[in-house]
This record gives sequence, C-alpha cells and structure tokens, in this order.
Amino acid sequence: MSKKNLAMRVSIAIFAIYLLIALFAPLLTPYDPFIIAGGIYEEPSPEHLLGTNDLAQDIFSQLIYGTRATLLLGFTGAILSVSIGTAIGIVSGYYGGRVDEFITRTLDIVMTIPTFPLLLVMMMFFTPGIYVTGILMGLLGSARGVRVIRSQVLSIAQMNFITGVKVMGASDLYVMAKHVLPNLLSLVTVQFVFSAQHFMVMGIGLGFLGLGDSNVIDWGQMIDRAYQNGGVINGLWWWLIPPGMAVTFLSLSLALFGYSMEDEINPRMKLTRI
Amino acid sequence: MDIIRIKNLNAGFPTKRGLVRAATSVDLTIREGECLGLIGESGCGKTVLGMTIMRLLQPNTIISGEIFYKGQNLLALKEEEMRKLRGKELGMILQNSTTSLNPVLSVGDQIAEGIILHEGLRKKEAREKATELLEKVQIKNAAVMSKRYPHEFSGGMRERAMIAIALACSPSFVIADEPTTGLDNRTMKGVISLLAEVAKSKSMLFITHDLAAAFEICDTIAVMYAGEIVEWGDVDEVFSAPLHPYTSGLLNSLPERGFIAIPGSSPSLIDLPGGCRFKERCACSEERCARAHPLMKEISSSHKVRCHRYD
Repeated sequence: MSKKNLAMRVSIAIFAIYLLIALFAPLLTPYDPFIIAGGIYEEPSPEHLLGTNDLAQDIFSQLIYGTRATLLLGFTGAILSVSIGTAIGIVSGYYGGRVDEFITRTLDIVMTIPTFPLLLVMMMFFTPGIYVTGILMGLLGSARGVRVIRSQVLSIAQMNFITGVKVMGASDLYVMAKHVLPNLLSLVTVQFVFSAQHFMVMGIGLGFLGLGDSNVIDWGQMIDRAYQNGGVINGLWWWLIPPGMAVTFLSLSLALFGYSMEDEINPRMKLTRI
Repeated sequence: MDIIRIKNLNAGFPTKRGLVRAATSVDLTIREGECLGLIGESGCGKTVLGMTIMRLLQPNTIISGEIFYKGQNLLALKEEEMRKLRGKELGMILQNSTTSLNPVLSVGDQIAEGIILHEGLRKKEAREKATELLEKVQIKNAAVMSKRYPHEFSGGMRERAMIAIALACSPSFVIADEPTTGLDNRTMKGVISLLAEVAKSKSMLFITHDLAAAFEICDTIAVMYAGEIVEWGDVDEVFSAPLHPYTSGLLNSLPERGFIAIPGSSPSLIDLPGGCRFKERCACSEERCARAHPLMKEISSSHKVRCHRYD
C-alpha cells in the first residue's frame, strides 16, 4: 500500500468515526446535554467523564452533540457552495467568450468582499439558525470554487470528444450534464471536502465569537463558554482541550483526505502546491 | 440527385494576426451514394470544410456561401434544427480517435447516446443496438467490449468504435475525417475496407491525406490546396491523368511513384499570395500565374481544374 493511499484510508477512518458519533449521538451520551446533570464545575469522574460546566451540564455529552452541529454546518455550506460553484463554473468555462468574461469579472468583484467579516456582520444582525448560517456560508464561499471548476472546464471543453458528442446532435445542456460534469467528479469531490473543512472551522470560529446558534451545542460555543466562565483561569483542561482536539482531528482528517484525493487525480499538483 | 451541394463557401477565423482564410470559394457536389475524397496537405482546410458542413466551428468563424443538404441550406438553419440533423442525417467520424471518445464513459454507452437522443429508445434497447453496431464494425466479442472503456480499446478498435458512433442512427451522409491517421498499416487496411463497405451504402465525404485509401474508397476526388479546390474529378481520371501540377506532385510523392516531394511549403492562410496560390512551388509556373488568379475550368464533364495551363 502506498503512502498516500494509507493517508487516505486513515483520514476516511477518522472521518467515519466522527460521522458515526454524530449519527448515534443520543445513544452515546449519558445525559441530555442541556439539562442539569449534577453539580457545577465537577471534575472528571465515572459519572461525568469530562466533568460538568458552570451550568452543571455534562461536558462529555456536549462534546458528542457538538459533532452534529459542526458536521451539519460544514456539509450544508459545502453542498451549496460546491453546487453553485460547479454550475456557474461549467457554464462559464463551457460557453467561454462574453458569458465567461461577464462571470469572471463579476467574480473578481465578489471575491474582493471578505467572507468571514461579512458573515460576522450578518450573524450579528440577523442571528440566524444553524441551517441559515450554513446557507449563508455556502453562498458567500462559492466564488472560489467557480474559478477552480471553470479552469478545468476550459480544458475539457476543448477536448475532441466534446465535438464528438456535438456531432451526434447533442445540445449544450446535454454535453454539460453528461460529458463535462462526469469528468469533473473527482475535482468536485476535492472541492467539497475542502470547503466542508473550511466551513466547519468557520462555524467553530463563529461559535467561539459568541455568534453561533444558541439552540444547538457546538464546539466553538463550548470553548467560548469555557473562556467566559472561568474554565481557562481555573485550569479546567477537560472543558477546553476536548472540543479543541475534536476540531483539530476532524479538520485534519478532511484536509488529509482532500490532499490525498488531489494527488490521486493529478500527481503534478504535489509540485505546484505550496 | 445531389445530397450535398456546396456553393461558393468561404470560411475564415479572425485572429489577432489577421483573418485565417481556411476555405475560399469552395464549390463541390456529392451525389447520392457517391463517395468524395478530399485530399491535400495538412492545414489546407480539409477538416474546416467538414466541420463547416456540420456547423461545428467556433462561433466567431466568418462563413459565407451555401451548403445544401437534400435541398435545404444548412447554413440558414436554426441551431436547433441543425442539431436534429447531426447524428441523424449527417454522421461524422472525427479524426484522432484517441481523444475523440469520452474517457469516463463506456464505449457502448457512447454509441447508445446518439440512439437515445434521436430515436428515443430506452437505455437498455439502445445498448443492445450499440452492441449490434460494434458487431457490424467487426469488433470481436462485442457484448463484452461495449462495456469496456476507451482506454481498453486498441487504436484500430477505437477507430471502429468511432465509425459505429457515426453510423448509430444510420445517417444518409457521413463525413470521415482522416479516420486512418495514426494506425499501423495492417490495422489501417482493416479500417479502410470497413469504410469501403460503409461507402457502398452511404454518401460520404472522405477527408484524408492517404491517397491510396482515397483511391480505394472514393468515386470522385477533390484536391484542396491552401483553402481552395484545385482539382475535382472522377477518381480514375484524377489518379491516372492528373491535370493540376499539385495533384501530380502529390501522386509523385507516393513511394511507388518515386517518392519525390513537392518543394517548399504551402502558403500561410493569413497572408495568401495573389495570383495562383501554388505558383511558388510549381515547376511549370509562368508569368501569368503571378498576375491572375486561375478559375475552376471544366475540362470534361467529370473533370475540373484550377490552373492557367488549361485556359
């Protein structure tokens, strides 16, 4: 087994664990993460594996439930941004000419808008729920994907087999859906993984800044709480470290998967990537 | 009856360096059941002519003239109407079969595509038909091979698959664009005899620079030089008694006729010379060749030439 193949397997395994935890959260948690489960600021014990917080909520249960929010946010954003990015990218690269020019110039303008600060402002004013947050992220973050997809489509559209399909009497829409898109699949997957990772970390960031959806528990909000309510000052590491580690490993597994996938598609990327 | 009639066709690509005149006042007719061989050096506009008929050149191409297919002017059709003709009425075998098949789809599916598009068959029926077509182009084990991907096919097999795709909806007119390029001699002979078989039942435009193949398959020959048709006639007449010096030059460059290359190279299509376009390379060029552009002259009912020697 080659090294990169190993990296891919490991990353998939780690990610699968996260996914299972998110799916079976209610079965894995000893307490409802929102209820008072004991005393406040309890240390780790067999009853409370990671102790309790300032509201007497079980931290271990919160950690488990936090997986859901993070994955949900990441995937909502990624699905949306990758769909938009792929659709626009294909149209832009396939038609070329004025259509392409218009889309590219518009993107240039859109890309000058800093995503995260804009998101922060929107979150502060509208305090949206987790789904809307995901959608906002997806919309704001789709511009980058368009460029990557577009450049790939530019080269696919020049290939002979595209002419071959047109010779058969296929319409443009047919060519784009049946011939361009399948050739983009691996690139789209990589895009999806990287944007999911990006949005997950972004969601944690929002939670940490106190701008998360207060109806759900996420790791960012846990860390924020630990900061605000004496977790750091009193050295309650079991409150702070586990959500941090959870983020790190999740992000790492996705990044690893994305990179090994990228190498798989195009070994030359290894050289060009900084 | 004429199946294809091209009248005064011009095609040019605007570039930063100027207009590339890939076809200049081309007049050609292909009768029902006839196979016309279009021969000439690389870059003389052969493929452009084929693609103009299919109307698949880049959108900014400047095209003038008329192309009649069974009496209707293809250049005046809406894109939508043209699309219905492509594949169904007008088939095309593209050059370079290595890149002309989609690498991520099985060969059978790619043949089935046209059938599904034009005949509205279900996927399963279309696939069966694709297998039949593969059998027809003499691919062994067609049922298994139709599920394979292009990279699992050899060059000759890919070429056969391309022919199957072009024939999928039994078009009445087929353009074969250098279908034998890049094949070894033995494979090439197989493909040529297959094409000769196809040519028996269809009208065809056979674009090639393989003179021997053209001789074997075609009924008539048109010789193209620097975007112009310089000679056009019955295959036997053109090969046994070529009129244009360029045609003689091409024939003399065949190994069995002495392997004598034509000196020089063809002019740039951006900066075409006045007068006869072949004069720089012509052994019998005269003073008037530089002065006046020769017109197509009918020598006999089945032979035309564009050369001052026959004025």
